[in-house]
Amino acid sequence: MSLTDALFAAFSIPFMGRALLVMLVLAVVAGVVGVLVNLRGLEFISDGLTHAVFPGLAIGLVMGGTAGLVPGATIAALAGALALTWLDRAGITADAAIAIVLTATFSIGVIVVSMSDDYAGALEALLFGRVLTIPPDEVLPLVLVSLIALAATGLTLKQQLFRAFDAPGSRAAGNSALALDLVLNAAIALVVVAAASTIGTLLVLALLIVPGAVARLVTRRLWWLFPVAALFAAVGSWLGLATGFAISVGAGVDLPAGATIVGVFVLGYAVVLLGRFLLGRGGLDTRAPSSGATRPAEGFETLAPLAPQPAEGAGEGR
Amino acid sequence: MTDSPVLRLVDAAFTHPGGAGVEGLRLDIAPGEAVALIGPNGAGKSTLLKGILGLVPRTAGTIEIGGVPGDAQAHARHGIVSFLPQSADLDPDFPISLEQVVMQGRYRGLGLFRWPGRVDRAAVRHALETVGLDSLAARPFGELSGGQRQRGLLARALASEPRLLLLDEPFNGLDQPNRDALVDTLRSLKRDGVAVLVSTHDLELARLVCDSVVLVNRTQVSCGPVDEVFTLGNIQECFEGVEVEIDEHTVVVPGHEGR
Repeated sequence: MSLTDALFAAFSIPFMGRALLVMLVLAVVAGVVGVLVNLRGLEFISDGLTHAVFPGLAIGLVMGGTAGLVPGATIAALAGALALTWLDRAGITADAAIAIVLTATFSIGVIVVSMSDDYAGALEALLFGRVLTIPPDEVLPLVLVSLIALAATGLTLKQQLFRAFDAPGSRAAGNSALALDLVLNAAIALVVVAAASTIGTLLVLALLIVPGAVARLVTRRLWWLFPVAALFAAVGSWLGLATGFAISVGAGVDLPAGATIVGVFVLGYAVVLLGRFLLGRGGLDTRAPSSGATRPAEGFETLAPLAPQPAEGAGEGR
Repeated sequence: MTDSPVLRLVDAAFTHPGGAGVEGLRLDIAPGEAVALIGPNGAGKSTLLKGILGLVPRTAGTIEIGGVPGDAQAHARHGIVSFLPQSADLDPDFPISLEQVVMQGRYRGLGLFRWPGRVDRAAVRHALETVGLDSLAARPFGELSGGQRQRGLLARALASEPRLLLLDEPFNGLDQPNRDALVDTLRSLKRDGVAVLVSTHDLELARLVCDSVVLVNRTQVSCGPVDEVFTLGNIQECFEGVEVEIDEHTVVVPGHEGR
């Protein structure tokens, strides 16, 4: 099989085309929402939502077959978003307590799934996804769920960024912290729903977190974070699907598609991390600050608090 | 001072759900007037400011902002009042530039659906010029010095074109150039008719910028023109138990000076 076959021709096969369409929409949305997850430090809540969604998927599957997956997961995810928003606001920071609640929901999901006829097959689909076997009539619900998440994030994006940067300042300016948190957690929940149906609940977190983390490494310019994360996620999904197809068909090794996509994501993150390490900060962040002053390359600046820098002569008058 | 007050408190009290609060507040601030809010640590200065913002519940009395009674007038309040928080605890690694921070001051006027336009960018530029940071507009916020960050946050408050500006300990930790810049900015705001309420430990700065003083220590101790309120008796009553020296020009409150 040639490279062009894997990268382009493969997607003219209907199931590969559907997989690519759903993954591209999902990747763009997950990239945008993932930047906010990164800036707000909501990784734990995102992880919680992937657990909370599982019983919803399971109940939906048992009650309505595969057509019940998206509705069941959506209900469970929105309930989970409400619950986690409330836990967060109530100041319940006991990670153990939250973890206990979440593993409990996961076990409920497993028990529900065990009642289905095809226990092993159903469980595997829920945990590891089934991006290559999405039926045509499920494409629209998945795309819709993703686009609703994108719209909710986009409409509140200015205020979400304000809150992420300065929570008390945002409240003082009249923004409701509760409303913003509910909208963002619901958007994360909807991304989890769409992603759980494609790459599986166990791997959802990669889609939400890796693109945002890559964007933070590549740029320090606020509005570049979103296109960078979305582009990374889209290219990663495409290459992941193509790689899985090439190896499965060409080499006869049956690679699970969801895991291959995540593998490509993580590999991409490693490459960016290495590139940043080799080039130093100035190499990737192309536009210099307005003063034009040269700054030293600093390697992994995001990993350590920035020391206050001298004023470099401009504006300070010291 | 014939204008109707921008802020009027009548026997107001603000109380945190936990019980701590400040009470007995009677205060008028006219357009172009600056009032210093003075009291020891834990006297309820921040509580008073947050009460005016609606972030701490009012438990007694009345409040009027811009001539509108404070009850259920969140929208009116948010169109009028801006707040400069105390030594804002902001992540220096957050990827945002100074002008993007200042633009946040314009968001409440934009609502959910509109994005900043030409008028907003002009307002941001003007606010940055006012605080003397226009040459650093594109600089990442986290790379500014502490004093520059404070002035940047002041520019954000100015960009929302407030009629009442609340400042919580804005002089804390500022070096002389930044302190002077802040004093100049506050004076020019007063000339533009902005009402200012500023909490501070720095009694000398209260004299430099403010027309009136409110002394609080859990309750309002005294309120009036600077020279009438700054008496040894009043200050000692307010800073109970703290040794206070006062003469014609300076007041020294040990443990509070120069912070």
